[in-house]
Amino acid sequence: MFISGFFYIIGETFKGLYRNRWMCFTSTGVVVVTLFMLGIFMLVNLNLGHITDTVKEQVEIVVYIDENADQETLDELGQKLFSHSDIESVNYVSSEEHMARLHRQLGGMLEGYDAEMDNPLLASYEIRTIVPESVIDLAEEFETYPGVSTVFYGQGYVESLFTVTGVIQMVGLALMAGLSITAVFLISHTIKLTVMMREREISIMKYVGATNWFIRWPFILEGLIMGFTGAVLPLIGLYYLYQYSVEWVVANNLAFLTLLPVQIVLIELATYLVPLGTGLGILGSTFSMGRFLRV
Amino acid sequence: MVEAKYLSMKYEKGGHYALENISFHIDRGEFVFIVGSSGAGKSTILKLIIREVKPTDGVLKIFGRDVARLPRHRLPYLRRNIGMVFQDFRLMEERTAYDNVAFAMVVTGSSRREIRKRVPHVLGLVGLHDKAKTRVRDLSGGELQRVGLARAIVNRPAMIIADEPTGNLDPGTTLDIMNLLRSINLRGTTVLVATHNREIVDRFKKRVLYLENGKLIGDEQKGIYAHVH
Repeated sequence: MFISGFFYIIGETFKGLYRNRWMCFTSTGVVVVTLFMLGIFMLVNLNLGHITDTVKEQVEIVVYIDENADQETLDELGQKLFSHSDIESVNYVSSEEHMARLHRQLGGMLEGYDAEMDNPLLASYEIRTIVPESVIDLAEEFETYPGVSTVFYGQGYVESLFTVTGVIQMVGLALMAGLSITAVFLISHTIKLTVMMREREISIMKYVGATNWFIRWPFILEGLIMGFTGAVLPLIGLYYLYQYSVEWVVANNLAFLTLLPVQIVLIELATYLVPLGTGLGILGSTFSMGRFLRV
Repeated sequence: MVEAKYLSMKYEKGGHYALENISFHIDRGEFVFIVGSSGAGKSTILKLIIREVKPTDGVLKIFGRDVARLPRHRLPYLRRNIGMVFQDFRLMEERTAYDNVAFAMVVTGSSRREIRKRVPHVLGLVGLHDKAKTRVRDLSGGELQRVGLARAIVNRPAMIIADEPTGNLDPGTTLDIMNLLRSINLRGTTVLVATHNREIVDRFKKRVLYLENGKLIGDEQKGIYAHVH
C-alpha cells in the first residue's frame, strides 16, 4: 500500500514536470535568471569585500620608542605589546634597521652619510591589529604607555578608508538583501502561477479522497527539482564567467585587483544560492497550494 | 445513510439562505432525484454531503456521522466512500481514461495488482473497455461521463452523488448514463442525482426531493418532475 503510493508520488513528480513542461521551464527560467543576477551581485560584493579587507589589513600602528627611556621601561613596553590580546603581530625594528631601510629606499642619495655615528631614527614596534578598525583606539592606548615617544597609524587617511569601506559594505549588503527579497517574491509568485494552472487537477484529487499530503508531495518534489535546477544552472554560468574574469585580470596585469580564488567564491555562492533556490522551490509550492487544499 | 435535520446554509453572513430548514432521510440502496430550478439549492445539498461546505444550522449525518464535526484530516476517508459525478466531468484531460480511473484507486492506497485488475473491469462495466488507453481529451461527451462514472464506482463506494450528470449530454447519451446509474443502484449503491432534466425524472419514476428557493417543498416516492402541491 505504502509502496504503491511512494512510487506513485515519484512517478507523478516527473510526469507533472513533463506534462507542465512549459510552465516548469518558465518557472525554472525565472529562478535561473533571478539567481544569476543575485550571483553576479554576490561576486562583485564578495570581491569588493575582499579588496577592502586587503587594503585594511595593510593598516598598521608604528609605536616609536622614547630614546631616553631606561631598559626596564623598554622591557615592560615590549612585554605589554607582545601579550596584548587585540594585537595580531608585533615586529621590533631597531634604529639601525630603520636606517638600512632608508638606505634601500633612497639608494645613492645617502652615500657618505655615517649612520653609525649619527643615527636620528628611533627604534619602533610595527603592529598589526586583529581588527583593523581598532587601530585608532589602540593607538590612543599605546600613547599612554611609558617608554613611547610617538604613535603613528596614518592619522586622517585611515579614518577615511574605514568610512569608505564601511559605506561600500553597507551598500553591498543592502543591495544584496534587496535582490534576495526580489528573488523570493519573483520565484514564489512564478511557482504560485504554476500551481494555480493546476488548480483543477488538485480539486479532482480532493474529490476522489486524496489526503493533503498525498497531493502535496509531488508538488513539493517538483518545486525542489525546479528550485535546485534553477540554482545549479546559474552556478555553472557564474563559474565560467568568474574564471574568465580572473584570467582577464591576470592577463591585463591589474595587480591592484586582488580577486578571490575561483573555488572559494564558488563554494560561497553555492552555500547561498543552492539552499535559497531549493528552499524557495519547496516553500513556493507548499504555500501556493494551501488555498486549494482547504476545499 | 443520509440524514438531514433542520438543515440551513448561507454562503455569506447576512446573505439569503441557499438552503433553509430542510429535513429528509435517505436509506441505503435508494435512488433519489433532487430537482428544482437553478439556485434552488440542489448543488448545495451535494456540497454539504461531501463537506465542501459546512451547514450554517442543523445537522447532516452521513453514514451515521455528523459531517460538520468531522475533523479535516478525516475528510478524504469520507469522500472515498462517496463517488462524485459532475456535469463538467472534472477529469484530468491530459491523461488516459485508464489513468483517470486508476487515480481514484491510487489515492486510496490500493496495490498495483488490484488496480490492474479492477480498472479494466470497471471500464468494461461502463462500456469503455476499448478506450482505456485513449486520452480523455479525445473522448466524446458521453464517453467522458462514462469515465467519470467509472472513476466514481471504482472504489465500490456506498453512495454515488451526481450533480447534473447529463447537463452537457444529448438525449440519447443522457439515457445511457442514467441507465448506467440505475444499474449501479441495482447493485446496492445509493444514488443521489441533482437534476433539472424533466424527461429523465419522469421516465425513471424514482423518489424525488423537490427544492424551491432553498426550501424542501416536496418528497415523493415514484415522483415526477412537476410536483403537485
